[in-house]
Amino acid sequence: MQKRSIIHMLDPMQNNSPFDVNMAMDAGFDVLVPYSNVKLDKVYGLTQDAIFSRGPSGVKRTGIFIGGRDLGLAIDMLDTCKQAMVPPFEVSVLADPSGAFTTAAALVACVEKELKEKHGKELKDCNAVVFGGTGPVGVATGVIASLAGASTALIDHLSIDTALDMAKEYNRRFGCSLKGTYASSEADKARLVSNADIIFCTARAGIQVLSADVLNEAKRLKVAGDVNAVPPLGIEGIKLKDMGAPLIHAVNAPGAVGVGALAVGNVKYQLQHELLKSMLETDKPLYLDFRDAFNKARELL
Amino acid sequence: MEKPFILHMLTTAKNLSPFDVNMAMDAGWVSAVPYINVEPSEVQGLVQDAIFSRSQKNLKRTAIFIGGRDTKQAMDMLRAAKHAMVPPFEVSVFADPSGAFTTAAGMVAAVERELTTKFNTTLTGKNILALGGTGPVGQAAAVIAAQAGAHVRIIGRQLERAQNIADMCSNEFGDGKITITAGADADKAEYIKTADVVFATGAAGIELLSAELVASAPQLKVAADVNAVPPSGIAGVDAFHDGTPIQGSNSGAVGIGALAIGNIKYQAQNRLLKKMISTDKPVYLHFEHAFEVARDYVKSNA
Repeated sequence: MQKRSIIHMLDPMQNNSPFDVNMAMDAGFDVLVPYSNVKLDKVYGLTQDAIFSRGPSGVKRTGIFIGGRDLGLAIDMLDTCKQAMVPPFEVSVLADPSGAFTTAAALVACVEKELKEKHGKELKDCNAVVFGGTGPVGVATGVIASLAGASTALIDHLSIDTALDMAKEYNRRFGCSLKGTYASSEADKARLVSNADIIFCTARAGIQVLSADVLNEAKRLKVAGDVNAVPPLGIEGIKLKDMGAPLIHAVNAPGAVGVGALAVGNVKYQLQHELLKSMLETDKPLYLDFRDAFNKARELL
Repeated sequence: MEKPFILHMLTTAKNLSPFDVNMAMDAGWVSAVPYINVEPSEVQGLVQDAIFSRSQKNLKRTAIFIGGRDTKQAMDMLRAAKHAMVPPFEVSVFADPSGAFTTAAGMVAAVERELTTKFNTTLTGKNILALGGTGPVGQAAAVIAAQAGAHVRIIGRQLERAQNIADMCSNEFGDGKITITAGADADKAEYIKTADVVFATGAAGIELLSAELVASAPQLKVAADVNAVPPSGIAGVDAFHDGTPIQGSNSGAVGIGALAIGNIKYQAQNRLLKKMISTDKPVYLHFEHAFEVARDYVKSNA
């Protein structure tokens, strides 16, 4: 009889996210085991414990998921897992802290698609700004966009230091070239919007970041994407299901379009499902992070 | 392929109760996933995470269980969970902290059965003493019995604490529609003179009602004890009693022991866990629902 498939869900926080639990089960894992409060220095041992008890055929029915809230830590945990493998005792690993990798990958891929279809442009031709850019989804969005060639700035709503620190840390980590800035007033937002080709809005749920007045200042805006699904939405005028609908309040940026949170959410959902499923279907172990998520999102679209 | 049944099990404690985990799996849940040390303030976030990653169809195969130790906290968490739903993204929730709701339901249903079969009467208007009644099982039993029309007095070692808990039971759990009174353990010789029913829900191994007090009770009809560890909470009632006459009772009272109560508790918890699987509309389950299914079980076995 074929062994049951097992996913070991490692989380540096006290609990896994029920969202990820549902996703893992629905992707076809038979058994799900949570590991909470996992420190980085425990990852090596846990990984080796997981690979040595099932034999070479059993490891193909075994996966590791890394959650948490902290992107850098999740990547460190993924790298540690990888180092701990002893081929052929090797299992697939997916990191998706706070769902940020899949959400950011879906957001950037949706925006990229509209950029090509509606404006014939590539990310590398564009200036991008990320509002809510210092949270998990914002940073991942910035890193993906920057690595794809967009000139990208992370925007904090309060502190330029936070934004600069984040940009520096992630540039060092992933070799991207993020800038950092802040926007605490409507005037700050207007200034940043006026020069942007792309706006990513990844701020907290239930907060309107960009009003019609601010969008009025956009001169060269091509695509704006929002991940906030809880009213009021992040960008005024973008509806939840919009995928390339005209951005009605950006009157001075002809042809600008919007991507809404449910459009992004649909892609994110498919993406996370596909990545989890690929861990069960693959013949060779996979180590999946935001880069793989972005590639897969591009494929899906 | 049908998606698996997932039960997200939340507890404020450091671990789930293995009792509840077994019960969940045996009721048909395929995956029982623990969330530990959960603060009531985290319930909304956890619930919303759980409801937004499955389609409406598959949300019918998803539910939340709330454990922990504290009855009020569990009821607050149940309310917070209900409040966090975003219809049609909504799942069933069942609170049973320390198994207290289903245990209490089992005890009251067994007492009710004995009142009916042996004394041809009901809970309505009966005087009930809930000895050691300040804990989770005592609280829930007091509320269930009071809602069924009994006059319940929670007895504790300290009157002030018993009074606070009685007030909480009346107001929080009974919505102010019932009045549960309080009494001090030192005065139980007085209260036993008018008691029709005694619940013993104190800590294991402590005798709450002596043989002398049992003998002194002129209208005692049923005495129920959840304690399975000797010495029993009520002198003359052992774990195996199930409507058995209590030796030394001058009023012909019968005893109900821990195993009889435990059997009904098991059935009630099993039925509520299954109800979350079979229901078409989300349900929010607590002690009242536990009592309903416990009564159904008792009736179907009459």
